[in-house]
Amino acid sequence: MKKIVVFTLLFLNLYSQDIVSKNKRCFLCHGKEDYKIIENGKVKSLYVSSAEYYQSVHKDMLCTNCHYDVSTIPHLRKPKKIHCLQCHYAGNVVGAPVKEMPEKYKESVHGRAKEKGKKAPDCIDCHTTHYIRYHSDTLSTIHKRNIPLTCGKCHMKIVEDYSSSIHGEALKKGILETAVCSDCHQEHDILPPEDPRSTLNPKNVIHTCERCHADVTIMKKYGVPVKQVEAFKESFHGVALEYGVVRAANCVSCHGFHDILPSSDPRSPIHPKNLAKTCGKCHPGASENVAKGKYHIIAEEKEAGIVYYVYNFFKWFTLLVILGLVIHIILDLTGRAMKKVKKKAE
Amino acid sequence: MNKEEKRIYEDIINDMEKEGIEISDELKKKIKKEVRERLKKEIERELQKLKKKKKKEKKEKEEYFIRFSLNIRLQHLILALGCIILIITGLPIKFHEAGWAEFYFKITGGIQVSRFFHRIGATLLVIVAIWHTIYLFTKKGWSEFKELLPRKKDFLDFLMNIKYFLGLSKERPRFGRYSYIEKFDYWAVYWGMVIMIGSGTLMWFHNFFLGVVPKFILDIAKEAHSDEALLATLAIVIWHWYNAHFNPEIFPFNPTIFTGKIDKERMLHEHPIEYEKILKEQKKKKEE
Repeated sequence: MKKIVVFTLLFLNLYSQDIVSKNKRCFLCHGKEDYKIIENGKVKSLYVSSAEYYQSVHKDMLCTNCHYDVSTIPHLRKPKKIHCLQCHYAGNVVGAPVKEMPEKYKESVHGRAKEKGKKAPDCIDCHTTHYIRYHSDTLSTIHKRNIPLTCGKCHMKIVEDYSSSIHGEALKKGILETAVCSDCHQEHDILPPEDPRSTLNPKNVIHTCERCHADVTIMKKYGVPVKQVEAFKESFHGVALEYGVVRAANCVSCHGFHDILPSSDPRSPIHPKNLAKTCGKCHPGASENVAKGKYHIIAEEKEAGIVYYVYNFFKWFTLLVILGLVIHIILDLTGRAMKKVKKKAE
Repeated sequence: MNKEEKRIYEDIINDMEKEGIEISDELKKKIKKEVRERLKKEIERELQKLKKKKKKEKKEKEEYFIRFSLNIRLQHLILALGCIILIITGLPIKFHEAGWAEFYFKITGGIQVSRFFHRIGATLLVIVAIWHTIYLFTKKGWSEFKELLPRKKDFLDFLMNIKYFLGLSKERPRFGRYSYIEKFDYWAVYWGMVIMIGSGTLMWFHNFFLGVVPKFILDIAKEAHSDEALLATLAIVIWHWYNAHFNPEIFPFNPTIFTGKIDKERMLHEHPIEYEKILKEQKKKKEE
């Protein structure tokens, strides 16, 4: 038994040694930090950090596994452009993991833009080329903490807005339960909000926010009220949205999206001073009166204030009145029945 | 020749034979004919008597009073129509989470359709409210209103009725033009109308009212509208429909509020005091 273990370890060691030594030939040039060429009038770095490469998920791969058209050193021609789908397709023999991600990507805004020949990110733009790491790895570009940076490479203005938002602030504090880009927009299947399948379609926004904001364990931890979503569904906006009024306000209509801030922040659209303007987007008559009252109220709960008492008044009033009326009816009916029985007996 | 005829005919022949009168065949035929004709006439006379009696009974039953004027009938019709539209289009919004509400919105084409018809129902209700207020200032309307004012008798009637239901008293209360049950229905509509039209107006013109009243007033309006709607619906469906239509006395439908007519029998049973009053008035008129 011992022998076998030793042998396997030795074999693996030899194998990996083999990879390192084989790849060393590539890193001879590409491992130099200042290794670059001028292509189309632009300086292009050809440097690949070997240290980082050997920490990536592809550390057990030869350079030539992907760059299959490189057989001699130095290679005379520029190697062909490679694509992840070279290996990551269903039924591949090298054992590359296949998920539905590429299929989802094709449908996404990025995939469709790419198909039309527009400038849009492909796999490598988010996952990097040589240094791909698992999303659980804190150094990965797709680790939750780094996602805003990854998306921000292109969406610069948005990330700027995001980083000053309550979600962005939380992320800076290292709270990973906060929302980053992909929590709302999805990752591979990012769809435009007009698409009914999109998580950001007006009808679906509530369900997107609900994933966290209706979760007691998360919200309790940070002192965020948890019943807002439930209350919204009870409100007229919520009911209208549910049954076909797409223009009815959803969460983001009032709270904003990338730059969401708590109502205590004077920059927030839901700060009492800004409410008239925010409501006024749809309700032209809105004045500062809209700030006089509570929002997201559930009538059954005491926090609803005066509405709670109105609700209770009607609850008991209805119960008493209907009970009285029903008793009157029952007495009437039983009285009639009794008289009938008596008559028959006579 | 039927049995009866045969019996009478044989009796006559036997009597004649006992007397020793000789009967010729011709006479026999004559007697037969006479018997038949007389019997026929007798039966006819009896039948006519019966018919007359029945006609008289029917006439008595068909003798009716005009209980509600066309004006009142139209008011009720519009109110009823409005309420039914409002209930059908409103309750699914209150119970939006229920499966039946989802189904309702699916087959009717969404909440916008419901909102439109809800406002039509609301308009009918407002029309009736204004109409009735004006009606109260007419001579007839005012006298009806006076009839509907609650009195001490109503309370006593109520107690007596309960006793009657329980078998503690053998006498039913004798109602006037409006029983305490009908008065309750009338006054309940005031309560309902004030709350529903008030809160409904706030919500209908929320864009205007958002600038005029604090937000919590609109919250109260929404809650009150939704809660009172349920109370009104239950009161109409359970209480009003039972007393007006579904009670064993008149089940399944009482047309009086739509035709205005009430027959003498029901008048005597349901509104004896008013019946007596009408008779007195008629007598007075005749004497004059």
